[in-house]
Amino acid sequence: MRADGLNKKTYIAIIGVALACMIAAVCIYIAQLNTTVSSNLMATMDEISQHDVETIEGSLDNTYTRLDSVAKRMEVYGVSTLAQAQEQMNLESASTPLFNAIYLLDANGDLYSSSYLQLASEDHAYDELFKDGREHFVMLYTAANGKLETTKDSLIYGVRIDNLKIEGHEFIAILGRSDISVISDQLMIESFDGEGVSSVVNSQGYYVVSGPSAEGLAGHDNFYNVLEDGRIEGGVSVQDVRENMARGESFVINCVTAEGESLVMSFAPVEGTQWSFIMTVPLDVFDQHFAPFMTMTIVMLVAVVIVLAVMMLIIYLMMKRTLIADANANARSEFLSNMSHEIRTPLNGIIGLNHLMARHMDDRSAMESYVQKMGKAAEYLLSLVNDILDVSKLSAGKVELDVRPFSMTELIDNVCQMQQQPMADKDIDFSLLVDDVKYPYLVGDEVRISQVLVNILSNATKFTPAGGKISFSVSQALAASGGRVATAISIQDTGCGMSQSFQRHIFDSFTQERNLNSNSQKGTGLGMAISKMLVTAMGGSIELESELGEGSRFTVVLPLEVTDEQSVAKTQEILGITANVGASEEQTSAPEEPAKIHVLVAEDNELNADIITSILGEEGYLTTVASNGQEAVDIFQASDEWSISAILMDAHMPILDGYEAAKEIRQLKRDDAKDVRIFACTASTFAEDRERARMSGMDDFLAKPLKVSEMLGKLKGVKDMRGKAGDGDAKANE
Amino acid sequence: MGMPRRMSRMAVRIACALALALCTLCFAGCQQARTDDAIHLTIKVPKTSHDVVFDDSISQIDQVISKMAHRFQQDYDRPVDINVQVFEQNQYDEAIPDAFDTQSAADILYGDYFNMSSYIHTGRVVPLDDVIEGAIQDDIYGYLLDMSQVEGRTYMLPYLARQNILAYNKDLFRQAGLESLIEEDGIASWSLDQWTQVLDALAANLPENVYPMMMYANSSQGDTHTMTMLRACGSSFFDESGHFALSEPEGVAALRWVQEGTSRGWWPPHPENLEIEDCSSLFRQGQLAIYMVNNVSLGRYGDTIGLVNFPGPDADGCATTFVSGFQVFDNGDEEKVQVAKDFLRYVYEDPELLSYAVGTLPASISIAKEHADEIPHFDVFSANRDNVVDFTGSNPDTRAIREIFYQEMRSLLMGRVTPEQAAANLDERCNQAIDDGIASSTLHE
Repeated sequence: MRADGLNKKTYIAIIGVALACMIAAVCIYIAQLNTTVSSNLMATMDEISQHDVETIEGSLDNTYTRLDSVAKRMEVYGVSTLAQAQEQMNLESASTPLFNAIYLLDANGDLYSSSYLQLASEDHAYDELFKDGREHFVMLYTAANGKLETTKDSLIYGVRIDNLKIEGHEFIAILGRSDISVISDQLMIESFDGEGVSSVVNSQGYYVVSGPSAEGLAGHDNFYNVLEDGRIEGGVSVQDVRENMARGESFVINCVTAEGESLVMSFAPVEGTQWSFIMTVPLDVFDQHFAPFMTMTIVMLVAVVIVLAVMMLIIYLMMKRTLIADANANARSEFLSNMSHEIRTPLNGIIGLNHLMARHMDDRSAMESYVQKMGKAAEYLLSLVNDILDVSKLSAGKVELDVRPFSMTELIDNVCQMQQQPMADKDIDFSLLVDDVKYPYLVGDEVRISQVLVNILSNATKFTPAGGKISFSVSQALAASGGRVATAISIQDTGCGMSQSFQRHIFDSFTQERNLNSNSQKGTGLGMAISKMLVTAMGGSIELESELGEGSRFTVVLPLEVTDEQSVAKTQEILGITANVGASEEQTSAPEEPAKIHVLVAEDNELNADIITSILGEEGYLTTVASNGQEAVDIFQASDEWSISAILMDAHMPILDGYEAAKEIRQLKRDDAKDVRIFACTASTFAEDRERARMSGMDDFLAKPLKVSEMLGKLKGVKDMRGKAGDGDAKANE
Repeated sequence: MGMPRRMSRMAVRIACALALALCTLCFAGCQQARTDDAIHLTIKVPKTSHDVVFDDSISQIDQVISKMAHRFQQDYDRPVDINVQVFEQNQYDEAIPDAFDTQSAADILYGDYFNMSSYIHTGRVVPLDDVIEGAIQDDIYGYLLDMSQVEGRTYMLPYLARQNILAYNKDLFRQAGLESLIEEDGIASWSLDQWTQVLDALAANLPENVYPMMMYANSSQGDTHTMTMLRACGSSFFDESGHFALSEPEGVAALRWVQEGTSRGWWPPHPENLEIEDCSSLFRQGQLAIYMVNNVSLGRYGDTIGLVNFPGPDADGCATTFVSGFQVFDNGDEEKVQVAKDFLRYVYEDPELLSYAVGTLPASISIAKEHADEIPHFDVFSANRDNVVDFTGSNPDTRAIREIFYQEMRSLLMGRVTPEQAAANLDERCNQAIDDGIASSTLHE
């Protein structure tokens, strides 16, 4: 058990560690999966951002080229006056949806528009934008740089030009104005099923392009306001974002808008501008992309766990089956070894005594001692065989309880009576407490219950030293279900007690611990196992409390159906034979004059037949031997009526067995066919064997090996009955 | 800055989910009860500059609307939650029809009549006769109420108006030798001959990069002014049924007058490629002699300009009026409609809220009279009210008409069509749009 306990803890620890490892592995896997998915999404965002940025940069380059071309066409068309130049620009802007207006900037800073507007250098600041040497620029229109002919959100493009002189004016740049709506559709690229929104923001945070947008952006004119109204995660400040954008860096932030929506924003600079491209994706998009992987992972994990569990279960069952088979085999082997030893021990005694008897045939006193010892050895051998058979049958579940009404008080009296003399021999103080037996008439297997109690009480007697105490108490309680009574029988002794380890094995079927200190009192070692199995078969329980050196207490609890006295009496009437036999057994001790009654011995074993005929002959009985059942029938049929008083019928014989022979004899048409006493003589001693004998017409049962006194007692009963019948007849004849 | 922190978010979500669910359940009842008590109204208003003579803090009309909403929420006898949403002038479609049957549908719209009138015919704009009955109706200028009605029922409530006329640059007139026409006060009116002489004089005498008068046709913006000019030769523009009548001789003559103006140098070159904003910039920059103004915008020019009516069917010329006001939409919730009407009644019964129209021409007679001295040129424009013409006719679909009109004018200015062809095209296409609009019109009962 200690080893088992360790194994159990070990198994639990192994399973715990395995589960922990599995959970850790799952967590790591999910984390890794999350990282991978996020990385892929971020890579997708980067790709889209790069694509959009390239689109914007391409669009800007295209616009610069278109503007430069307008300037070049001025020369091609031979524009010679400012009015012509403005009219030409008017037509150019009308011919393309790209520009709502085109402007020429001369070296003095004067601006000439396609709508004929002329702004002096002091009315605008666009000439300032080229003073740093740049070749081109693009910016959000703001009236701060000079009020142009629009109130709409617009972009202003500027391209430096060379060698364009018209009417004495040297033009250094050409500008274009476009409504943002013209290019916003071109620059706006939705992604992630329309949930990702692209925006372009200038260094001041104003939207150059803003999409229909992620929630929270709409209605905000300035990007920084969005960030200020919400919060940025990861310890990043709006100023950090502002500085990163100003430095033209690519970066990613996680932020939560004022409305509580979590967003991932990817920033990328637009080359040649002070703009940043911003890809804004709600964090939910990541969740949505992660969810299928998570679902698949869970499904796969569940599947793997199920497969593993099934495999482990199969392996466990196979191992368990193997272990059980091995354990059973070992137990049986050990049992057989023990039984071999136990059987050989009395056999050895018998053989040894037989040898001594042969050597001392003339020494009567020695012969008497040898015969007495041989009888004890034979009896021990018999009880050993009976126990083995009981264990075997109980283990196989083939025991059929002979449930009948019985008297619990009578049963207890009988059990105690049986141990009265042994206890008296050891001067044991025995106390019986049966005051709580409110329901003495119960239904159960009286014989088996007696067997259990006798076993326990005899053990108590054996292991209680002289002068010790044994108390036998009985109590009853009506079961909640009604109709049944839980009878608790407690047998407590002041014997040597049992160790804890022995207590754990005392009820085991095949494994028994030898009590090395009580060799002189040893039994078969199967009694408690048999008792346990019998009580269990009756639906009851048997418990042990014991302290080494202090004594033991066995408590047997049996749930039995309650009945009444009449039922018990009726049963005893049916089984009256046994009672008569019991009564006759008690009378065997009285010497009687042998009567010349005729006994038919049906026995196929010649030795057994000789022994029986010899014993009966010595007791004054006439005997006739039949070597099989058919012969027994024939002999009885051929005999004179009433000449054969009893038949000792072996159950298992060739040609016709004892059961069939009994049936045929009972069916013979002669007066004594129904009355002749037929005794079943068989080694099959189970209840069903007894029942079968009774059903075949036999009157009583003599178990082999035959107890001579019992056999003679029963035959004396027959003789007595015949004597009374004879008296009756005589009186009738008178 | 880096990868999204998925694990922490998921862990927090899982950990908080149950607690949040519990808290939500616990507080749901009281929260539900608290929010459900209030009536939610959405008022939409286009982004429009606005001046109030007595309150310099007001620069946009939505500030006035928000003030009205705030006051109403405080005084109304049950909880009301009013959300004032501002949209861009060019986003009427997105703000109004596109939002029908959504959570963001407007319950009340404040805007310009010529943009709002189309919605009356969707069947969603409720009549407001029950709101303005009695004293309120009596306090609103009749000519504004007339413009608010369709088939005798009032679907819009006027709050303010702007009168559009023309203005001329006095300096440029002097440069062109037109000093005699310059008037320091009042709104002048010239006959068609005078107009022709003025424009010819300007074309002949102004510097090369300065132009006599506005003309544009690159978009529909400002087209109502062009429509008004087409009355120059006596055309009534619309017939009695409200349909275009430009094929009449007076209409064709006006179209010819406009087309000839191109060759006679009255307009900037290629006016078909210009927008009203271009002309505005030219006028502001002193490169355009005649441009339109209204009673509010003329303030930015000071005394550098003189005022004159559009050339009209008679010697008095004509003017137009832009009216701004309210509409109430039925979005299927009678309770909301009633509260919206209560809101308008509240506004029109409160002199202070009505006075926020002072700076333009208030729709309220009492407010206009009370603040007459504070409203720039109030008397002048009041006196000119008789010359105001309706530029909407019976048109239920203004947007469709505008898309047709500027394109035909563009063709005319480019010389692609004759005046007769332009007149025929305009009459045919615009009247078809009007008829289609009438056919599909559904008025709210």
